[in-house]
Amino acid sequence: MSNTSSNILDIKNIEVTYDDVILALHDVSLKVPKGKVVALLGANGAGKSTTLKAVSTMLASERGKVTKGSINYDGNAIDKQNPSQMVGLGMVQVLEGRRCFGHLTVEENIISGAYSRKLSKGDINQELEKIYTYFIRLKERRKSQAAFTSGGEQQMIAVARAMMAKPKMLLLDEPTMGLAPQLVAEIFNIVKELNTKEGVSILLAEQNTNVALKNSDYGYIIETGRVMLDGTAQSLLNNDQVKELYLGISKKGRKNFRDVLKEESLTKKKIN
Amino acid sequence: MVDELLFFMEVLVGGLLAGTMYSLVALGFVLIFKASATFNFSQGAMVFFSVLAFCGFMQDFNIPFVLAFILAALLMVVVGLCTERFVLRPLMNASEDTVLMATIGLGYVLEGLAQAAWGVEVRRLDLGIGDFPVPWIADNLKLFISALDITAGLVAAIMIIGLFLLFKYTKIGLGLRAVADDAGAASSIGIPLKHIMLLVWSAAGVVALVAGCMWGARAGVQFALVDLALKALPVLIIGGFSSIPGAIIGGLIIGAVEKVLEVYIGPFFGGAIEGWAPYVLAIFFLLYRPEGLFGEKIIRRV
Repeated sequence: MSNTSSNILDIKNIEVTYDDVILALHDVSLKVPKGKVVALLGANGAGKSTTLKAVSTMLASERGKVTKGSINYDGNAIDKQNPSQMVGLGMVQVLEGRRCFGHLTVEENIISGAYSRKLSKGDINQELEKIYTYFIRLKERRKSQAAFTSGGEQQMIAVARAMMAKPKMLLLDEPTMGLAPQLVAEIFNIVKELNTKEGVSILLAEQNTNVALKNSDYGYIIETGRVMLDGTAQSLLNNDQVKELYLGISKKGRKNFRDVLKEESLTKKKIN
Repeated sequence: MVDELLFFMEVLVGGLLAGTMYSLVALGFVLIFKASATFNFSQGAMVFFSVLAFCGFMQDFNIPFVLAFILAALLMVVVGLCTERFVLRPLMNASEDTVLMATIGLGYVLEGLAQAAWGVEVRRLDLGIGDFPVPWIADNLKLFISALDITAGLVAAIMIIGLFLLFKYTKIGLGLRAVADDAGAASSIGIPLKHIMLLVWSAAGVVALVAGCMWGARAGVQFALVDLALKALPVLIIGGFSSIPGAIIGGLIIGAVEKVLEVYIGPFFGGAIEGWAPYVLAIFFLLYRPEGLFGEKIIRRV
């Protein structure tokens, strides 16, 4: 990964503050190679969503700011852009909690994703049909009001809607939150398919470490606003500490990497 | 007996048609409420500002009727543009309450500007439609119904159909409905809030102009239009703040109820109850059906 041009996204040492006082990210660096799936893992409040929003520039609407470091996306430094400009550049975020337009029909929801593109009615229908090949379940429910569809369907709507913007890169924020294991697998299958068939690069934030790593190429683990560990998905799945702290295969009562570091420094002191 | 029934019909129909005038004003509120979840307190001032400008163009500059109307409509688009740029954009991340307060301020600015530009005296607006009973209806149906009321009814119907088509079948309409549902999600997929706000405020401005023409022709173009527009508040409480059909039905209900009550119950209170009767009705709605008749219930999956 030394060749920077092969990365569609390159985040270098960013710090993020909310309301000028709350430091949410201390020092996060990560790279997403073109055409790969990268998982961003961590517990609640670790800074996963904040990292994604820093990239999609959605931070501004929550009074957050990138105060240090740089973000480079597809050759552009991300700085003063707004979310709709980012969509224009091919970067679309699927927000946490699905956020469908409840009063619109499923199909209207999906079509709304094409808002930023200048498409004729015919083109839109063609795109729709293509999208429906990935989300077969949504085609059956195209006329229903989105608010009355199931959680899994709503997640599919959110991803389908984002795909209508023809993204080069998708940011998925906890796509499997609150879904049954079967649906989790279904969602990840679709994500993998979009990645391989449409060539979309993906950065996904997840708490579901096991499934996320199994479906990713590379992973980053963040805790309290810092990257604690990164590596290929396979290496992380085999890592003892990851197994213990994030996959629930526990030996001792340690809860996170900070505890591990503390213990290590204690044992060092003892030895000395 | 027949006479009494006819009289009741007359009061009712007159009330319903007068109600469409309230509906027209309420429409402007609904448009803005849908997009920014804010009750736009400056809507009354917009009505006053737009129709005063329209009169000014015609009477001070001798611009012909149609051209003056188009100019006034364009002026309202400019007002929408300035509102988006100088009021809404700086307050983008502020709470809804802050935006609400800003609309009160905006109202005062518009009132002041209108009076500074066009003077404070009451102006007469002649639309070429008399505010007197239509002879044909009076002769054939024995009902005395004002031509202006009928016009207002027709205009309201046309505007509603127009707005419905705009929202349901155009791209920008879809964008507006998306923003109304979840502005954050809408902006995450690249719907520019800026354009939607501009559209909504301009549309509300043009609706204000139409409502102002109707009211101005009846009551004279004067400062009192600002307060009259606040009659839309009970209309919205009854119809629902976010529903265009609600604004219409709410207006009809208020119009009919206040006239019927005035005529049949008013004498017991010493008359002039139409000024406050709608608000009493609104209080009952707030107690028993706060989302209004057509307001969108917040849909939550259980």
